[in-house]
Amino acid sequence: MDNIQLCLPLKAEYVSIIRLTASGICNRIGFDIETIEDIKVAIAEVCNKLINVGGKSVEYLKIAFKISKDKLTVVFDCEDSSLKCIFAGEENEFGLAIINALMDEVELCTQEYILSMSKVIEGNK
Amino acid sequence: MSEELGYREEHLENIINIYLDGEVDIYSAPSFKEKIYSTAESSEVDLKVYCDKLRYIDSTGLGIFVGALKRVKQKQKDIYLSGLKENIKKLFTITGLDKVFKIEE
Repeated sequence: MDNIQLCLPLKAEYVSIIRLTASGICNRIGFDIETIEDIKVAIAEVCNKLINVGGKSVEYLKIAFKISKDKLTVVFDCEDSSLKCIFAGEENEFGLAIINALMDEVELCTQEYILSMSKVIEGNK
Repeated sequence: MSEELGYREEHLENIINIYLDGEVDIYSAPSFKEKIYSTAESSEVDLKVYCDKLRYIDSTGLGIFVGALKRVKQKQKDIYLSGLKENIKKLFTITGLDKVFKIEE
């Protein structure tokens, strides 16, 4: 498995950098353009939420892109270990609805990290 | 870094046309919100947003469209969205907003 890690200041102006990086990685994997757009939006939704709930208590956001034979998994974490359930109690929110609709697997509120989501690599579905 | 969103208004007698060019994300959202809310609050006509050159939007932007719609609905007016790209239209469908806005091809 290949693991690409990004660590950026948790600021609105860097979300586009994360989207661009995600786009490059997804393109390298061979996802089609529509899927790349979906993954970019899902990743940005998590970043947006973290910026809104993390506020000034979180300085850096860590994103890991884990590429295996059959799927891409994107894992989000930060230095504030108390920040785990960022979407708790917001089932009807646009952000979470978008993430759930666009990704194949979404893991919320785990002990190890903030959120993990995966997209199956075409041909392995 | 994040690009600015191009925003242009054209005030006609019975409608205000708004032309967007670029990306509505968490960075460009505050200025977009200020402009469209200000127009939605001060106008007495329908708004038509041309999205042909809108390349990206996320829930932050969708929320702003909803906020603007609430403001024009108070005056029994509407917001028309035109030229949405497929990836953007998909987000309106997922969130159910395709039934709330008047979406034109």
